[in-house]
Amino acid sequence: VCAEGTSKLPFSFKAYMAQKIDAINQALDAAVPLKEPRKIHEAMRYSLLAGGKRICPFLCIAVSELVGGTESMVMPAACALEMIHAMSLIHDDLPCMDNDDIRRGQPTSHKVFGEAVAVLAGDALLALAFQHIATLTVGVPPERIVRGIGELGKFIGAEGVVGGQVVDLSSKGQSDVSLEQLEFIHLRKTAAMVEGTAVLGAVLGGGSDDEIEKLRTFARYTGLLFQVVDDILDVTKSSVELGKTAGKDLLADNITYPKLMGIEKSREFAEKLKKDAQEQLSGFDPQKAAPLFALAHYVAQRSK
Amino acid sequence: FSSVATQFDLKGYWTTLIGEINQKLDEAIPVKFPEKIYEAMRYSVLAKGAKRAPPVMCVAACELFGGNRLAAFPTACALEMVHAASLIHNDLPCIDDDPSRRGQPSNHTVYGVDMAILAGDALFPLGFHHIVSHTPSNLVPEPILLRVIAEIARAVGSTGMAAGQVLDLDGGPNSVGFVQEKKFGEMSECSAVCGGLLAGARDDEIQRLRRYGRAVGVLYQVVDDIQEERMMKNGEDGERRKTGKSYARIYGVEKAMEVAEEFRAKAKKELDGFEKYGDSVVPLYSFVDFAADRGFSVGDAI
Repeated sequence: VCAEGTSKLPFSFKAYMAQKIDAINQALDAAVPLKEPRKIHEAMRYSLLAGGKRICPFLCIAVSELVGGTESMVMPAACALEMIHAMSLIHDDLPCMDNDDIRRGQPTSHKVFGEAVAVLAGDALLALAFQHIATLTVGVPPERIVRGIGELGKFIGAEGVVGGQVVDLSSKGQSDVSLEQLEFIHLRKTAAMVEGTAVLGAVLGGGSDDEIEKLRTFARYTGLLFQVVDDILDVTKSSVELGKTAGKDLLADNITYPKLMGIEKSREFAEKLKKDAQEQLSGFDPQKAAPLFALAHYVAQRSK
Repeated sequence: FSSVATQFDLKGYWTTLIGEINQKLDEAIPVKFPEKIYEAMRYSVLAKGAKRAPPVMCVAACELFGGNRLAAFPTACALEMVHAASLIHNDLPCIDDDPSRRGQPSNHTVYGVDMAILAGDALFPLGFHHIVSHTPSNLVPEPILLRVIAEIARAVGSTGMAAGQVLDLDGGPNSVGFVQEKKFGEMSECSAVCGGLLAGARDDEIQRLRRYGRAVGVLYQVVDDIQEERMMKNGEDGERRKTGKSYARIYGVEKAMEVAEEFRAKAKKELDGFEKYGDSVVPLYSFVDFAADRGFSVGDAI
């Protein structure tokens, strides 16, 4: 039923996504007003509003709409996801971690505000994420909000994103990294965030347990797909095309899929992940599932 | 009334609660793969000699209104987790640069700065997850849990403890009151408020707990600073905070003692409004006197 590519779908994925991202950006701008003390709020806004793909908030809304929810039901959660994403980027960029000076073409938070404020702005964004969902979610039964917060607390912590970052840090410069280890890192670091996002959207949107599990699996494949494609792009594209330093993974001795299995096998793996992800959507109304079907395609086809 | 308060065995009450809370915290953070992060988290959360003031305050506030202790324990543990996260980050070289805490090397001294940052980042969400997964649903309705979560997030956030820390780093000399309230009053305020919320206290009672908790937290720190200042004068070696605003250092010990008395009176005045709850308010009174007088060392009580 679902045709290959976005052009044959019964709606414009690009327009749908652009409209959602516009709404997300507006909500983010309103979520962190410039209060006192100004410096920390400026730092929070600097990273939160710096742009970015907004894939997690978008996925959260799309999943919610698929299971019968609405955009407004999950907008506070969508903003919270972006706050957490911003926090982890701020902390990852610190000199004691990845030591990055540039992010999305701009100086990183600690370069602008100093390390102390960068650490604290990250912490404050993390706290605000939970406060935002707990106080501003409307139209969702409280037990679902509580459950969503529990899921969020799990997948961004040591059992998820942070755990992946720990293994990533400890495997840097290591010569004998296995495919299993690489998959562990990505399942925790990137896929955990995407997976948790889908679960959060499905829980708040009112999905059944069966639907929640299907969307969880869809997101896990899509998250891993995102990472594999990222690794391939890093090898095959120039810095100008990517807007960031290409080949950085190789230089920094990061382990990547192309390094472990070669470019061709990585491409095949990406293709398989896309199919596996899209298969999870077969039980849903094809029309309603079209945005997610197209999202997996978009993640696979992206060129930067 | 004061005779009842003196008869109350605060040390015994506190010691029993510390034992229970330590056990629950131990269970809440099992070591899994990757072990290093769990070890770093446990190192700070389960540090020996921790007074567990936030959890004890939370339980006592809950019991004031006849709430079940079991309703408060998960939140009490969460308060300790987010408190630990906040202390780990505050001790970092780029912030307060404290190589030690409670007489032990600080988290980054043992595990490295990168792991210390990640341990903090993992403890904040674990706290919220712990509340959701462990609070008995038959004792606390979900809307209350949401208020508790929001309260904790507010307390550690950009207008709470993080605000205090930012201003402590570069605020003007007049900011000592604000910094003390934010850095040291917020956790105590939040702990008291959460206890009240979990027991189903009315909004006016929550407001009272808010003012009480904040006063006790600041009082505790002002007295700490006075003791530190006295030790410095006597030429004793103490753990002096390298940075940080202190009434005793800025205005002198005399003036700081007056400030402490004001906070003691303020905290007790708030409690007078809970008269109708009888003896269950006694632990909250005894915290005020403990914060001011330090009649015993809680660390010894373990």
